[in-house]
Amino acid sequence: MADAGTALYSPVPEGLYPFLSISLLTVGLMVAAYFFIYEVTTSKFSRSLVHELLTSGVASLFLGFGSLFLLLWTGVYV
Amino acid sequence: MELRCACSVASAILVLLSLAQTNANAELVVIKADRKVDLSSHNVRSITNLKVENTGFDSVSEVLFALPSSLASNLAFIGASAYEGKVKNRATPVNLPVKLTKSEAILSEGVVLFSIILIKPLKASESTLVDVYTVFTHLLKPFPEEITQSDVQLVLYYDSVYVLSPYPVKVQTTSFKLPSNPRIESYTKVNPVKLADAEIKYGPYENIPAFSSLSVTVHYENNQPFAVVEELVREIEISNWGNIYVTENYQLTHGGAKHKGGFSRLDFQARPGISGRASLRGLQARLPPRAHSVYYRDEIGNVSTSHLRLDKDKTELLFEPRYPLLGGWHVTFTIGYGVPLQDFVFRAADGKRYLRFPFGCPIQDVVVKKLVVKVVLPEGSKEPSVQVPFTVEESNEVKYSYLDSVGRTVVVLTKKNVVQEHNVFFEIYFKFNPVAMLVEPLMLVTGFFLFFIACVAYARLDFSISKSSASYQARIQREELIDAVQKLRIIFVFRRANVSDKLEASLKELARTGDIQGCKAARKAADAVLRESTKDLNAKFQSLQCSPRPFNIVPKVEALVAKEKEKQEKLQQKHTVVVESFERKLSSQEIDNRIAPYQQRISVLKQEIDDLLQSLDDF
Repeated sequence: MADAGTALYSPVPEGLYPFLSISLLTVGLMVAAYFFIYEVTTSKFSRSLVHELLTSGVASLFLGFGSLFLLLWTGVYV
Repeated sequence: MELRCACSVASAILVLLSLAQTNANAELVVIKADRKVDLSSHNVRSITNLKVENTGFDSVSEVLFALPSSLASNLAFIGASAYEGKVKNRATPVNLPVKLTKSEAILSEGVVLFSIILIKPLKASESTLVDVYTVFTHLLKPFPEEITQSDVQLVLYYDSVYVLSPYPVKVQTTSFKLPSNPRIESYTKVNPVKLADAEIKYGPYENIPAFSSLSVTVHYENNQPFAVVEELVREIEISNWGNIYVTENYQLTHGGAKHKGGFSRLDFQARPGISGRASLRGLQARLPPRAHSVYYRDEIGNVSTSHLRLDKDKTELLFEPRYPLLGGWHVTFTIGYGVPLQDFVFRAADGKRYLRFPFGCPIQDVVVKKLVVKVVLPEGSKEPSVQVPFTVEESNEVKYSYLDSVGRTVVVLTKKNVVQEHNVFFEIYFKFNPVAMLVEPLMLVTGFFLFFIACVAYARLDFSISKSSASYQARIQREELIDAVQKLRIIFVFRRANVSDKLEASLKELARTGDIQGCKAARKAADAVLRESTKDLNAKFQSLQCSPRPFNIVPKVEALVAKEKEKQEKLQQKHTVVVESFERKLSSQEIDNRIAPYQQRISVLKQEIDDLLQSLDDF
């Protein structure tokens, strides 16, 4: 029946959840802040779409993973 | 455990008795049968020790065990065990498979037969020991059926004094174990019978033919609260991020004698030994070790009357219902907890994952009329297959939880009449690709990205209603102007200022090394860049001048451009002077004197340009 089984662990050690969520969210929020500063300081004519997409992509990557670990840290196991 | 249980068989079974006489089973004889029935709780548990001898000529591989069919619907659990060795005490018991037999094996009307497969066939004139363990629910009938708060609970129990056996029994005894210090109203006397302490012993009776029965009745005090769970829904949700959440919804009833009359909380509280003796005051749930985030609540909210004890092998939750339960009263509540993933989910040798979790109700000594176990597998799990050591109904559902797209597969196991003996591990095997774990974070990432895209779109779209109004026009022009100024500024600050720095640097280099040729080359390159940027600058300036604007900016920009030009010229002149002086090998004092006027003018211009740029910012 259940003899040859090896225990399954989470791919990321659970002790790392607080650190990961705080650091990823910090970086993510900083990049997001940079994105918004860029948005409001440039005029409609001088904005570069590539620049916007790059910063928003990086920001959403950090914020996405950061909020995942925040959920896991707070006990919402998705 | 390889125990097979057959239950919920209520239909009466008709058979020919004559068939029995010709059956090879008739060769078996029970030499000794001891039955012990435990009546101290509200479930009836009995152990029957049988010593079976084969008096025929053929070897026999199975032993039949009979139950009256009226009891079949009350049977929650049946198991059998035997001992490998000769000496019973030394050997460990081996569980034997038990299965309900139908058709030709049934020997008598109103009897249900279970066949027990022996470890090895019983040869002629050999004997073996078999223990049969049965658990019945709802067998004790409260009598009187209704009691007041101060009454004790009396129950009636009907049974046969003889062990119902498909074989003749040579010697047999039956004993009924009652709660300690029992008050016995009455019991049927079939000699020899003996009442000692909390036990009524019938027997020994000798040479009783097959299928004999002689009914007895015991009427006694049983103040055990009859904790009956009408329905228990256990939801086991697996998260591959390291946790299993268990939620258990209970509908609990006191199934004993119904309460009549009023309820006095004062009496109940003040005299717990006398008032409400059969009431359900507290329960104990045995949760797995390392359980965390335990909660106990109902529709109203948290119920604070609970205690949690953690130790190495188990977590004990002691809790009281929101109000004490007297006979016939109901209460609904929810218990929830989390356990670490690694304790219950494993990877099998073939790469499949499986959950290994206790099946039954964690509360001690309750009857669950209907148990629904829902196993919520992680999203993306495929091909679930269940291994339960007894028969259950199986179905599938889909559940949507946090960050789900296609929903999670839910395996639903339903079983009726569940007792503590069903609290064994079951397994659910499923296939899962670890890459599927990335779906959830990527959903979050996509969500954030869509938000940013919305911001980009918002910044680009024009939401104004009247596109011809003066203020709108002014704003558009202003934006264009800002843009033009910004471009000019880029030329000033980044391109031309850079050139000036390079020129100054080449002069310093000259002063240090005396490399006139290098300095000239640097000058040449700087001139080219300057020419180029001047062209750009003029083009930008022209475009700025072209359209009519209400802003007072053009003169400022004009002044800026002029001053900048002059500054560059002065720089170039200074450069020329220095290089010439070097070629003529003048002293550094002399050079300083010569370039002093230029230097002065340059620093003045620099200041002016900075001020102008500042004022451009402010408009």
